[in-house]
Amino acid sequence: MTQSAVAPSSSFLDRHHFLLRRLHSLTGIMPIGVFVMFHLFTNMQMAFSTFQHEVDWIHSMPALLFLEVFGLWLPIAFHAGLGLIYTFNAKYNTRHYRYGGNWRYTLQRVTGILALIFILVHVATLRWRWPILGEHTPFFAWGWAVPGSGGELVPLATATTALAIQSSLLVILLYVVGVFSAVFHLANGLWTAAITWGLTLTQQAQRRWGYVCIAIFLGLASFSAMALYASVTYQASEVEKASLAKTLEVYRQTGVYPHKGDKPHPPGHEPEAVETRLIMPPATDP
Amino acid sequence: MIAPKKPEIITFRIKRQDARDAQPYWEVFEVPYKPNLNVISCLQLIAENPVTREGRQSRPVVWDCSCLEEVCGACTMVINGRVRQSCSALVDQLLEEVGEGEITLEPMTKFPVVRDLWVDRQRMFDNLLRFKGWVPIDGTHDLGEGPKESPEEQELRYELSRCMTCGCCLEACPQFTLDNDFIGANTFGQVVYFNAHKTGRVLMNERLDALMEPGGIADCGNAQNCVKVCPKDVPLTIAIAKAGRQTTVHSIKRFFTGKR
Repeated sequence: MTQSAVAPSSSFLDRHHFLLRRLHSLTGIMPIGVFVMFHLFTNMQMAFSTFQHEVDWIHSMPALLFLEVFGLWLPIAFHAGLGLIYTFNAKYNTRHYRYGGNWRYTLQRVTGILALIFILVHVATLRWRWPILGEHTPFFAWGWAVPGSGGELVPLATATTALAIQSSLLVILLYVVGVFSAVFHLANGLWTAAITWGLTLTQQAQRRWGYVCIAIFLGLASFSAMALYASVTYQASEVEKASLAKTLEVYRQTGVYPHKGDKPHPPGHEPEAVETRLIMPPATDP
Repeated sequence: MIAPKKPEIITFRIKRQDARDAQPYWEVFEVPYKPNLNVISCLQLIAENPVTREGRQSRPVVWDCSCLEEVCGACTMVINGRVRQSCSALVDQLLEEVGEGEITLEPMTKFPVVRDLWVDRQRMFDNLLRFKGWVPIDGTHDLGEGPKESPEEQELRYELSRCMTCGCCLEACPQFTLDNDFIGANTFGQVVYFNAHKTGRVLMNERLDALMEPGGIADCGNAQNCVKVCPKDVPLTIAIAKAGRQTTVHSIKRFFTGKR
């Protein structure tokens, strides 16, 4: 009998080839895919008044960094790393074989790269606060108190994102292309994963599951569209604009951002007397 | 279907290569039109008089063929950019595809070229060997009656048995390249075919172990071109999904059983 087993000296990647490939498929669904669904549902709430509450709830989670590292960053890095290797080892041929499946195969890899670029910029700005998109990089949920804010921190979750999207064609393009790429990549990935794992065997079963994936695509795409529409049409108040400007200025000087529950003024900038006079009447009232 | 306007002359643009590692080049030949020609009969006409359109004396085009009735797969080549058998590629239909233009003939790109349109398809036959594409009934003793098969099983196995190892599915597959280790749809079909046979199933675990190695079932990208170009309508995507299911179950079993 011919012995087809891989030689023991072969690389780690070769010895665990099947496992790595299946983990690539699995990580795309859980945790990444499930996370994206909840993420876009949260974003959709920018069209309602509940978005700030959701953002604060996420930021109040215990062991948030642990969840991020093991639930998101490592799975995404793994999924993207292997995905890129697969992408550049393929031989695309949609020119000669113009089948729907072949287009989706190619599109799956194109949207994967677009979504990856988007996710890197998105996380770098919003999470790691790299101001690579300049003045209007959306990256925080709260702003320092300004006159008119009642001496409190100003909730800016919707305002920063909306203003960033309104301020630059590049930002809106990044979000539109990036988000819809990710949504397609997820929905189409769910369709192919069902074949990969052997859930959908026949053409009929694959077509049925395809309808479910189209529904998932449409649902997530409409969540995304609602969030984008809410951002584009958002009317920021003067207080929000002033608070954002002040927060950016303080950040440039001190490198500090406020969080929910912080004191309303940056350290060293407390205008105690002014605020006290505004709020309390003079003690020497006749 | 017959082309509405029949041309006097059919033009063939043929990719030629003198030896395995030689540089390919193109030559154009003209053949007088007759109804009901196929590509092979045109190649025979060119062989009779191998003079290019420019009037230069060339040599007959080399290609591989055997059955001339689309059951052996040997004469598979890329015709008008699409892979198919040259014996069943009818010129009248090809003329509809190209209109007034030339019919192009190229060797398959996913197999090493031996000469002109003749390629070496050995990789597929090696894979059948590697994946034990047979039912083990060797021996001198009486094996008794064969196993009973249900009509449903028989139906799927019949469809899978039609594979003629022509290589169309691999040529059209974006995951399969000349120099990678991907096994490809036709072998997945045969693995599922022999695993479905009650006696062939004896070798199922060995086949599935091999299917989980690099280049195996996990490398399928689900473009599904294979099933679209298959001339014998082999249900390759069912086979791929079944191979996926079998390896899923097999790997979970292996994980919880462990190695002794």
